[in-house]
Amino acid sequence: MFDVETLMVLIPALPLVATLLTAALGKWLLKEQSHWPAVVAVGASCLLSFVLLFQVRAAVRQLDSSKSAAAASAAKPIGYEKIRTLWTWAVIHDVLPPDAGRPTDARSARDLDLGISLRTDPLTAMMLAVVTSISLLVVIYSIGYMHDDPGYWRFFTYVSLFVFSMTMLVSASNFALLYVFWEAVGLCSYLLIGFWLTRPPAAAAGMKAFLVNRIGDFGFALGLFLLWITYGTLNFHDTPAAAGILGQTLLSDPSRYVGGGVGVAIGLLLMLGACGKSAQFPLHVWLPDAMEGPTPVSALIHAATMVTAGVYMVTRCTPLFMAAPEAQQTVLTIGAITALLAGLIALTQTDLKRVLAYSTISQLGYMFIGLGVGTLPAIVAGMFHLFTHACFKALLFLGAGSVMHAMGGVVDMRRFGGLRHRLPVTHWTFLFGALALAAVAPFAGFWSKDAIVAALSARVSEAGPSSSAFYRIVFWSSLFTGGLTAYYTFRAFFLTFYGPEQIPDEAGHHAHESPRAMTRPLVILAIASLVVGWYFSRGDRFGKFLAHTPSLAYATVQATAQSAEHGGHGQVAFVSTLVALTGIGLAAYLYLGDSWEVVWLTRRLRWLYAISYGKFFLDGLYRVFLIWPLRAFAAGFYWVDRKLIDGLVDRVGRIPLAVGSTMRSLQNGLLPFYAMAMVFGLLVLLGILVR
Amino acid sequence: MDELTLLYSYQVVGAMLLGIGIVGFLARRNMIVIFLSVEMMLQGVSVSLVSWGRFNNDWGGQVLTVFVITVAACEAAIALALVLGLFRRSGVLDVLYWQSLREANQEPYIEHELPEPPPEPLKSWPHLTPAGVEPRIEEDLHRSHV
Repeated sequence: MFDVETLMVLIPALPLVATLLTAALGKWLLKEQSHWPAVVAVGASCLLSFVLLFQVRAAVRQLDSSKSAAAASAAKPIGYEKIRTLWTWAVIHDVLPPDAGRPTDARSARDLDLGISLRTDPLTAMMLAVVTSISLLVVIYSIGYMHDDPGYWRFFTYVSLFVFSMTMLVSASNFALLYVFWEAVGLCSYLLIGFWLTRPPAAAAGMKAFLVNRIGDFGFALGLFLLWITYGTLNFHDTPAAAGILGQTLLSDPSRYVGGGVGVAIGLLLMLGACGKSAQFPLHVWLPDAMEGPTPVSALIHAATMVTAGVYMVTRCTPLFMAAPEAQQTVLTIGAITALLAGLIALTQTDLKRVLAYSTISQLGYMFIGLGVGTLPAIVAGMFHLFTHACFKALLFLGAGSVMHAMGGVVDMRRFGGLRHRLPVTHWTFLFGALALAAVAPFAGFWSKDAIVAALSARVSEAGPSSSAFYRIVFWSSLFTGGLTAYYTFRAFFLTFYGPEQIPDEAGHHAHESPRAMTRPLVILAIASLVVGWYFSRGDRFGKFLAHTPSLAYATVQATAQSAEHGGHGQVAFVSTLVALTGIGLAAYLYLGDSWEVVWLTRRLRWLYAISYGKFFLDGLYRVFLIWPLRAFAAGFYWVDRKLIDGLVDRVGRIPLAVGSTMRSLQNGLLPFYAMAMVFGLLVLLGILVR
Repeated sequence: MDELTLLYSYQVVGAMLLGIGIVGFLARRNMIVIFLSVEMMLQGVSVSLVSWGRFNNDWGGQVLTVFVITVAACEAAIALALVLGLFRRSGVLDVLYWQSLREANQEPYIEHELPEPPPEPLKSWPHLTPAGVEPRIEEDLHRSHV
């Protein structure tokens, strides 16, 4: 029963059933028990995801052993993948004319054939396991956190819908399907950011997230059109009609990937989509505002899973990026800029959740650095960072939620402090998360971030003289960002849990540890943050597993695996740990004792402080240079529409009225008058007849 | 009297009936009279038809007249019912009372008659001189007779 084909359908289907159940029955029947469908379905999905993961791992191992046995056999498939097409969604015949510009090697299939195709490969299996397990913990946590909320059933409906969309997104084997669920997770994000829809900031933040994502999604859609024009299909896998974009045929002959201007355009457009969804530099502004949503949502959607969709997509499209090195370098640049910028902004934020939001943006930047380096160890490290980051960032957000729960919804770190005695479990688990985020040695973040930085340093050493400086700058900036990360994480930690005890008035009698439904997920995640990095990086388990993804298993990427391994791993690890400890030490020095230096520094570096606190004034810049011109533009068109076009239509409408008004005086309602008119008419007729 | 003279005489009678009907239809305001005028026009036309039928020696005119009479009977029933209904609603038979089917911004037609002069107060009131004795009515007796 639990073969791979069944599992990959069941995993998304269960949350969908839960969504429908909760939506149909939640308001009238389930009410305070609305969490049950979500908990059961997501729990089952999580279990099945792990079963799937183990089955894929077994298959991959078998592949490994058979490879060593019969290395010479030429017909060996690239990587491990299983495709299941459930049904055909749409077929449009002869979309392109026969003479349309298309590389001659693309097969002549001109039908746009969209199937509901699901796939399983190591990448999907790993993403499914991450998504469903974090979702399960967050759903359980939400039982405590959302308790007594009037929209209880609505919350669990949206969350199950999100889990469905996200699992479909990572298992889609078709760019169109990917795009549909790309939008679906965006919709869930919008609904959940604006969950408390009576609060104007929440509604505005939801709108902002949606609109900023529109820009990215527009680019993504254009990228898909270009892919379709270029490759003649949108499928990842091969079908009898056409060779899929990421299918075996193209992967076995990487020279067929289109490079040059078209390849770079495809890469950049896909990256624009990823920038929107994963909150990268020009489009990152929505994520901090998205913290208006309930904290479990911030943990699930805006830290652990949805924002990594961009990372997932770029990883999936690795062959396209490998064919366009300029696009790959853009990915690297954007990642580095984002990581540094978000790190700098996070230094001075006073809102606990916003610090975490900026750290999320920064860590996503790290992932894109990994993907942009473009060697197998770097890409795998980026995905590994996604995996560990999901654990510890979910932990940090849930910890922040626990603090908020105790503080009556206050998130301003200046208004509370010294909470370590009141919230012991939250304190310890938050410490674990903070250590993982700061990349201190045995914790999860260390292994993944170190792997990225090591891959980067290997790239520095092997890059040619022309690009060496570029990689060197990125390397040092990412090291520096690591120090920033450690500093601001521990700044938030010390401000919240150390110093004199201080509790805002809003807390009331609430200032105690959260219920067990909330603390247990924290503990589980804390343990995960401690062990997953060490466990999965031992013997490069994660990398070896993920390298069997078809997109990563083909020759061009595999060729980079060997060359990058001689990078100075230990050296880099030592330096980055040193940087992290420096950051922590600085934070401890400034925020643990009497903090006169903080005030002094703030005064001294007032300009820098203002820039960081004002988020580099990007929101303001967007307002002045984008929103206001657009508003003026729209106002102009509004005037044209209202006055010119509507005015014209109104005037045309008055013509019958004017004609009618001349005849109106004849209708006076007097019967003798009508009789007279009738007789006169008769006489006229008679006159005509007689004449 | 030859046929042509006969036709001519009948035509004159028919035309007179029609003309009187038209004049009555236009000039009168009483709904019943208007209706009667319409009937009169019909009769005028009927006379004309009959005479033409006789003159041309075919039955067409007579047949058509019978038909007209039938239709007129039906029409009379309906029209009188309508008139009756209108009278019940308003209490008047004046067609000018019913002018609300005009355009919304048209002034209504209001008849400006000269007000009637108030009657002259009588100089002296006629009166009767009471005479005789007021009869005494015995209640029991009265009741026994009723």
